Amino acid sequence: MLVTRISHLVRRFGTSRFFLLGLLASSGAVLWPAAAGDRVDFASEIAPIISRHCLTCHNRERAEGRLSLVSPADLARPKTPKNVVVASDPDSSLLIQMVSSSALGERPEMPKEGSPLTAEQVALLRAWVKQGAEWPEELELQPAARADLTWWSLQPLSGSAPPAVEPSLRSRVRNGVDAFVVQQLAERQLPSSPMADKRTLIRRLSFVLHGLPPEPEEIAEFLADSRPGAWERLVDRYLASPRYGERWGRHWLDVIRFGESNGYERNVIRNNAWYFRDYVIDSLNRDKPYDRFVREHLAGDRLGANEPEVEVGTAFLVGGAYDDVGNQDPAAALQIRANTIDDMINASASAFLGLTVSCARCHDHKFDPIPQADYYRFQSAFAGVQQGARILASAEERNRYERERAPLAESLEQVRQTIEQVREGVRKRVERRKPELMKQFNRPKVDPYGTEERFEPVVAKVVRLEINGTTQGRYHRPVIDEFEVWTPEPDSRNVALASYGSKATANSMRYSNDDPLLYSALKINDGGYGEYWISNLAGGVLTVEFPRPETVSRVIWSNDRVRAFSRNRSRPFSTDYTISVSVDGEEWTPVASSQGREPFNESLLNDKLFVQVVNQEENKRLGELDKRRRELERQLNAVKGLPQAWVGNFRQPAKATYLMQGGDPTRVGPEIPPSSLKVLEQLYPGYRLDPNAPEGERRLELARWLTDRRNPLFSRVMVNRLWHYHFGRGIVATPSDFGAGGSEPTHPALLDWLAGELIRHEWRLKPIHRLILNSHTWRQASDAQPEGVNRDRDAGYLWRYPPRRLEAEAIRDAILRITGSLNTAMGGPGFRLYRYSLDNVATYYPLDEYDLSTFRRSVYHQHVRAAQVDLLTDFDCPDPALPAPSRTATISPQQAMSLQNHPFVIQQAKALADRLAERHPGGSVADQVTTAYRLCFAREPEADELRAAVALVRSHGLPLFCRALINANEFIYLR
Amino acid sequence: MNSSIFGNELIARRDFLGSVSQGLAGVALASLVAPSIGSAKTIVRHHPAKAKRVLQIFCPGAVSQVDTWDYKPALERHHGQPLPEEGAFLSFQGKNGNLMKSPWEFRAYGQTGKRLSSMLPHLGAHVDDMAFVHSLTSKTNTHGPGCVFMNTGFSADGFPANGAWVSYALGSANENLPAYVVIPDIRGEPPSGKANWTSGFLPAEHQGVALNAQKTIRNLQSPEEYSPQAESDYRRFLAQLNQRHAADSPEITELKARIAAYELAGRMQISAPEATDFAAESVGTKKLYGVDDPNPLKAAYAKNCILARRLLERGVRFITLYSGSRASGVDGLLNWDAHKKLKADYERHIPILDQPSAALITDLKSRGLLDDTLVIWTSEFGRMPTHQEGTTGRDHNPDAFTLWMLGAGVKGGTSYGATDEFGRRAAEHPTTVYDFYATVLDLLGIDHERLTFYHNGIERRLTDVHGQSITEVIA
Repeated sequence: MLVTRISHLVRRFGTSRFFLLGLLASSGAVLWPAAAGDRVDFASEIAPIISRHCLTCHNRERAEGRLSLVSPADLARPKTPKNVVVASDPDSSLLIQMVSSSALGERPEMPKEGSPLTAEQVALLRAWVKQGAEWPEELELQPAARADLTWWSLQPLSGSAPPAVEPSLRSRVRNGVDAFVVQQLAERQLPSSPMADKRTLIRRLSFVLHGLPPEPEEIAEFLADSRPGAWERLVDRYLASPRYGERWGRHWLDVIRFGESNGYERNVIRNNAWYFRDYVIDSLNRDKPYDRFVREHLAGDRLGANEPEVEVGTAFLVGGAYDDVGNQDPAAALQIRANTIDDMINASASAFLGLTVSCARCHDHKFDPIPQADYYRFQSAFAGVQQGARILASAEERNRYERERAPLAESLEQVRQTIEQVREGVRKRVERRKPELMKQFNRPKVDPYGTEERFEPVVAKVVRLEINGTTQGRYHRPVIDEFEVWTPEPDSRNVALASYGSKATANSMRYSNDDPLLYSALKINDGGYGEYWISNLAGGVLTVEFPRPETVSRVIWSNDRVRAFSRNRSRPFSTDYTISVSVDGEEWTPVASSQGREPFNESLLNDKLFVQVVNQEENKRLGELDKRRRELERQLNAVKGLPQAWVGNFRQPAKATYLMQGGDPTRVGPEIPPSSLKVLEQLYPGYRLDPNAPEGERRLELARWLTDRRNPLFSRVMVNRLWHYHFGRGIVATPSDFGAGGSEPTHPALLDWLAGELIRHEWRLKPIHRLILNSHTWRQASDAQPEGVNRDRDAGYLWRYPPRRLEAEAIRDAILRITGSLNTAMGGPGFRLYRYSLDNVATYYPLDEYDLSTFRRSVYHQHVRAAQVDLLTDFDCPDPALPAPSRTATISPQQAMSLQNHPFVIQQAKALADRLAERHPGGSVADQVTTAYRLCFAREPEADELRAAVALVRSHGLPLFCRALINANEFIYLR
Repeated sequence: MNSSIFGNELIARRDFLGSVSQGLAGVALASLVAPSIGSAKTIVRHHPAKAKRVLQIFCPGAVSQVDTWDYKPALERHHGQPLPEEGAFLSFQGKNGNLMKSPWEFRAYGQTGKRLSSMLPHLGAHVDDMAFVHSLTSKTNTHGPGCVFMNTGFSADGFPANGAWVSYALGSANENLPAYVVIPDIRGEPPSGKANWTSGFLPAEHQGVALNAQKTIRNLQSPEEYSPQAESDYRRFLAQLNQRHAADSPEITELKARIAAYELAGRMQISAPEATDFAAESVGTKKLYGVDDPNPLKAAYAKNCILARRLLERGVRFITLYSGSRASGVDGLLNWDAHKKLKADYERHIPILDQPSAALITDLKSRGLLDDTLVIWTSEFGRMPTHQEGTTGRDHNPDAFTLWMLGAGVKGGTSYGATDEFGRRAAEHPTTVYDFYATVLDLLGIDHERLTFYHNGIERRLTDVHGQSITEVIA
């Protein structure tokens, strides 16, 4: 691997070419050689020299010798040598010294690579410096793409066929795959490996295809099957199992950054995104053609309107994170929307093309021949895609729903109208009597900044505020910042304060996970106004108990004492209330109430007067009508609703798409119509739609164009992904980057042959799996061989099957399988290994105890963003904030801690112990140990292992021994 | 994988990197940056380091610069008048009103006489050691992306945090403790939560390990049902199992590394509780920090400050210590997001921060730790010099905010960059988060352009493709 990487870098840096970006075109300079005395033009004469001969090393990324020659500002950087260019003094300028020969025929110091500058070029540079070394500030020399259209991955499939293999090597060739691999091994003088033993093979197959260890019965059966074709039959059986879709569906969900929360600051959970996860698993199990699968991802709504199983594919578009906080700053709002679409562009281009088109958001791609406009071609395709859930139902379901709903809805509408008529009659009388009725309001309205009630001095130990209505209506939850109770004497004291020893309580409060007391009644007598009691009910009851009985005569309370809001915009404040006192907390005496206060606003006034004016008959009528209304509403709710799924919404964009200069949405560039990418134009015909083409057409056209069989990236990238998950590494080691920033293929001909096979099998994946699984290459042993280890340490050329650690999900699922706890129920809402909490923003608290409902396969875990869930996170399960085309396999003490100490593992170790005890009731410890080895390692224990294990079990019992097996390297390594 | 974790294990880091992390991960670092990796502790240093470790104090919610560190006398003179040229402009929550002076006076502190809010008497005492950057700008005006941007250099989630990068480059100086520790506030996580300390696409071992004086490391302790004897026999048995398995495949170095990781976990079980046990702290120290303060939030933060010092002493490489948490049902309640009532909010938040943080600096100094510890104080962006329409608070301002640095390699008593007359925008030397991290890495001996990691087609950096070290603040 290292070797590949280094040679790759040498290639990247060694043969790079740079060019001057768009400068020549705009300068309009006339090119002629500088004659003595002529003014040298920087843009046309100097810039090309620097670009071609200096920038390879002296760019901002590399800055060899701390020097970047990208812009004049770079020369002024603090650590840059001071005398690189000394205006008007060529002899003191380092630049001139370095490129000039000190003696005739001697090679100048620079450029280090490539040929020296010609005498003419040096003369031009000298003349330029002499004339003052003018370099316009805005003129930045930019590195050109390192790859051009001749880049390997942009070529058509080569149509390669398996090479003929020398007779001596034929024993290692079972199919076309092997021919390519064996040929490479021979060329590189690498060894190859014999077939692995059957136990190793079935364990490998089971983990690779299902992400689970084989059951001992399966192993026994396979070992006993000595008929020809035993392996092929096993492969077929494993491919036919639904466990296959679960395992490989998880891989795909990684690749396309599928997550079940919104991400960003609020990170609200998505409880209706699982439809897409089930769709992926089902599509794989049914071996849906890959091109069809991807077309559904991009335009399922157009391919199968009202076919939920097709439309759901578009959840891919909105499966990423987005910022839903909202922003009143118009420029910021534009940027946020652009970021939301960027996520879709990045996900699509990396998954389906293996191109990092996102890098072209601000400028042309630095490594690959992707112009900036290509990025905006994608953007125009997705310009109408909106995040959100919507109904996902078939035409029949919609009809059924409408049939059941319509009569109820109609009746309800009638009842509502009748109610309205009756109310209108009352309202008219209210209007007529208003002048007279208003006389009852002889006191000012309540004030959120501070409302006072005075009453005759009274002895009290407890004071109570009952709230039955708020400034925002009856059904709102009141908020209070302070509640004061004052004594009558001239130097009146507030005896409600906590610091005085008084205690405040409430019948209800809003809950916060972080601080359970955040919104508690303690906030109303803390003497400060920054924190609040917030009721969790409509209305509420607050009580303050003094340390001893007090004579009191005045109460002041508020919810915005610091006047943060205008009075009318304050949070719900008590409008209908009663204040009572008590000496024992049992007998209460009302001392004040909202009686006589002017209602807080027009709407509250009308509500109040309505109640006073309505007559008994009307009241009865309204009561009956209301009952009827509630009954109808109940029936309507009971109609089985249509499922809502997170599949995205589509809206025609208000205007065309424009290139954003520098990626800045406020710097509008040329209009970009929905069209195919220029980078693939040379390979097959593209498309170009009207700038205002219908939204769905854009995605449909993109989908057709991307999945065209003449697009070599589409097939290559996918077969490489399959290879990657079979061997732990792709033929191209960077599965989502087939550009110059990524790796080049170890077996280019094999890659193209497999891509051709995928197309030949009409884009079905299972035939490719069969090719790979039935090859000798896949089935060879993983044992080390010195020549192999020394020359190809990571077995990139496949002289052995590369051993590797299992992924987080496979480790967790394997534990559940061997302990007999695994629940293989498929589909539906996921389970959670965290506690979800929402108080404006979401928080995910990892759980210590898992209940039975979580013992399902990890692919059904509700996979949210920015959560850390012990085992899964510690073993490198990626956050779906970004696409994860490959997993890392780190080693950390946190892994050891979660795998040996988390209560889940302890509990599962006990479950395994129980299973062993059950299998061997009253049986010998040796039998139990042997079964455990078969379950965990798919092998028999050796004699000394058995002895040590039996000793451990005898001293400390089976669970401790089981915990050790779960933590063993052998359990979590595949070979 | 840090070579430091293995101590003297016979594992060549280069080989290990080459095979363990999908080939590419880390190889860029190993082969390009430090071709001669071999020594155990120092992994990547491009030039001599001035700082060995970093303490970041983070006040989430966007601290108002004009009420704390950035003295703007013009605000008093023009209080109640429209902001010239901008009028009632729109920002994050909507319309802005007129200019609003700070509720508190500013007064001169220290020898330099730098003016800070009178609300900051304790931190003000350290002003001569601080280097302020007054001209910071952010790319976003939203808290979650803002915090994540300040911590990872990207406003989208999923990129490695500052501490993860430093852990990746330098590893831990104490193999019994994590290299990167995050100390969340007792009130909860900051905006965007764990995205602020993720390892992103760096190997998972570089993720921030969250603990505070109130909550220890997850899964640290062995289950209670097993006796010490059972636990010790379990470990021996597991080690035998693994050694036997590793002996069959000596070329798979990860197998030995996992054995070492289990040993390290065992040692952490002893070191971590020791680090969080304050029994040995003197009464004087506790008083200095304010751990017995009647305000439980201040007392809790004070304990977290002591914890930070203890962890720094024990070689933790990067600590982020939070003062404040996230958005809640009420703006500005749990953090510095003073939209509606700045005075009341900051009268709660500043006293929590001031004394304990100042005590932490004093304590680090007296123990000589400031010689090689870099202290940085940050928030995600600033606030407007105007009040928010209809309120006595200020809206978000990504165009100007302040941070300060102190300790190892920092030129104390300096102020770099400046905002305009009112503190609305960075006016002199506008500075980016990239410049800031270029500086931090510079002090750690790292060239920010050469600390890279390949991910999805790009050699990623903490500073994206920008940044220039602010040499003016370096001693």
